[in-house]
Amino acid sequence: MPMRGASKSRRFKFPEETSVIFALLLLVAIVGSLRPIFLKPENLLNLAASYSISALLAGCIVYLLSMGEIDLSFGWILNLSAVIAGVLMIAGVPVWIAIIIGIIAGGVMGAINGVLTVVMRLPLIIVTLGTASVYQGVSLITNKSGSVVPTDEKITTNIFFRALGGDIETPIPIILIFVVLAFVVLHLVLHKTRFGYRILAIGSNPEAARLAGIPIKQTKILVCALMGFVSGIGGVLFLGFRGAVDPTTGANLLLPVVAAAIIGGTALSGGAGTVWGSLYGALIVGVIGVGVVFLGIDAVWSTLVTGLVILFAIGVDQIVRVRKNRAG
Amino acid sequence: MESKSRKARWSAIALTTGMVLTANGVATPAQAAEKKLTIGFVVHAVGNPFINQIIEGAKAAAKDLKITLKVTGPAGAEGDAQLTAVQNLAAVGVDGIATSVPSASMMKGLNAVIKAGTPIVQFNGFVDGVNAPYVGEKSVESGRLLGKMVLEKIGGASAKGSVIMGNCFPGFPVLENRSKGVQESLAKAPGIKIIGPSDVKVDAAANFAAWQGLLAANPDALAMVGLCAPDVESIGKVNAAVAGSKTIGAGYDLTAGNLEALKNGTAHISLGQTPFIQGYLPVYMLVDSIRNKIKINKSGFIDAGTEIVTATSVTEPFGSAPLTFAKLQKMSTSPSATRTYYDKIVKGYIKNWQKNLKPIAAESA
Repeated sequence: MPMRGASKSRRFKFPEETSVIFALLLLVAIVGSLRPIFLKPENLLNLAASYSISALLAGCIVYLLSMGEIDLSFGWILNLSAVIAGVLMIAGVPVWIAIIIGIIAGGVMGAINGVLTVVMRLPLIIVTLGTASVYQGVSLITNKSGSVVPTDEKITTNIFFRALGGDIETPIPIILIFVVLAFVVLHLVLHKTRFGYRILAIGSNPEAARLAGIPIKQTKILVCALMGFVSGIGGVLFLGFRGAVDPTTGANLLLPVVAAAIIGGTALSGGAGTVWGSLYGALIVGVIGVGVVFLGIDAVWSTLVTGLVILFAIGVDQIVRVRKNRAG
Repeated sequence: MESKSRKARWSAIALTTGMVLTANGVATPAQAAEKKLTIGFVVHAVGNPFINQIIEGAKAAAKDLKITLKVTGPAGAEGDAQLTAVQNLAAVGVDGIATSVPSASMMKGLNAVIKAGTPIVQFNGFVDGVNAPYVGEKSVESGRLLGKMVLEKIGGASAKGSVIMGNCFPGFPVLENRSKGVQESLAKAPGIKIIGPSDVKVDAAANFAAWQGLLAANPDALAMVGLCAPDVESIGKVNAAVAGSKTIGAGYDLTAGNLEALKNGTAHISLGQTPFIQGYLPVYMLVDSIRNKIKINKSGFIDAGTEIVTATSVTEPFGSAPLTFAKLQKMSTSPSATRTYYDKIVKGYIKNWQKNLKPIAAESA
């Protein structure tokens, strides 16, 4: 027996994300071989920058999926956080203060989701069905159902807007650097801290986690608050990146973000998740979307392909889970 | 178990790759077009009957001008996804891009594309500040016109009662302008109380449910006024379901469903915004400006005109040939009949687009 164990430990083990990285490279190679212009570094960097905010959200929703939960409201948290920050800037609040308030507002909205889930003893998906509309509604009231566009020169010349908006030329878009750093933090928190282990334990077996003394309610509230906080960051990043926030901003983020996490290898059944995988998953969703434009395919195909991949991934997840239960 | 999971992941990869390859098979012939100008056409929603009429106009222009047209757009109206589509088309190297602009957050990105050398024309929805001309209706004015027509139907300035208003997309600038215009006209009757505008949603089923609820809550309403393409058809169905309903139904766009509601008397007024011109003219402007080196990198407005349609009359803009309701119904589902009808406009108003270019302020005058 020890001999077998030793030989196993010596065997090289590919990282969990290998398959998704391979898929990403394969897709890039396919699109690039058919349309070489796609491989121009600025195109690839622009692609990554365009999808960086949804990638950031995908990195965080891995936490919720790992815990066996899903949040439907994060797109509207992103929207409302950006609206709050933008409205405050227009009202004369210093840019950095407005940004901090916007992000904190995101965290508070996430925490509200968590508290409601715990208090009402309902799955997060049901609670956020309601809160998504609440946050959207508050956003519409706050922005008077119009776009929030900070146009004052004092605001637009602030380094936050200049750096994110591309006015300061850098070899790699600033937003991309920020998101990669955020991924390092998200990865370390999920896989190297007690908080992260608790999340995975709850997702794996809530009853066992409870018996082991893990504070399930507190952990749930904290993860929801973290999702809101990261959505808030996404909101202010969007405001800096695009220079405005619209009433519809964030409305269509749910599908690509969840798809990115699932394609990246995070199981819907909870108990496991890969933050880096979600980054590659987001890039795959991006390459599919961008690829269809580069290849001159009608937009309908992009939606169809993304949807089918998600359905397939969900189906596979279900099959694996059922077999696992049977084996158990 | 891990090997099963990995196997499943590899299957997903194979499927993804297969789908992209299959999809590519559809597109390859389009890439063969070389030397010809290629124009990108980006819409804010795919699968909407009214947007499809705009796309047919753009396709007619592409056919007439012998260029390649690449149509794309997100499934749901969302500015960021649409901007990404525009940026991707620019990266592909198209010669020009026509795009609707539903969101202010697109402005910075669009101006960057224009600055980098790809000309852009806005259509159907615009943002002030984008350095590109806009083709669309006079949105506030068309709202005023609709409000005026509704007021005439419900008794004029002495009318008393409530009018329900619905907006399928709160915040969309053109719709907000229409709403402003309608309310301006209705304000001429002090006895009119406006209910809303309520969010009546874009999706056809949700739109119908919203109007049904609004009429149920306000059964004595004198009129229901929508601002979007699905409204007239929904209002017609809602009216049809209420025996003896006398509520006036009014709204926008000349889709087949809306025209049917006018024909059967369950709705009463629909304003068209000449989707053919909104599709044809931007493509024509781009091709003409590229071929003749005309700079179009500044804001401006070209009126696409307003069509006024009831069950008994059709008024088309710019001195077009008289049109019967029956012919309009046929045109709503026939791109070739539409192209034939607009031939005079193509050879006159559209060809002379430079003469019709006005400051952008004219749009919301």
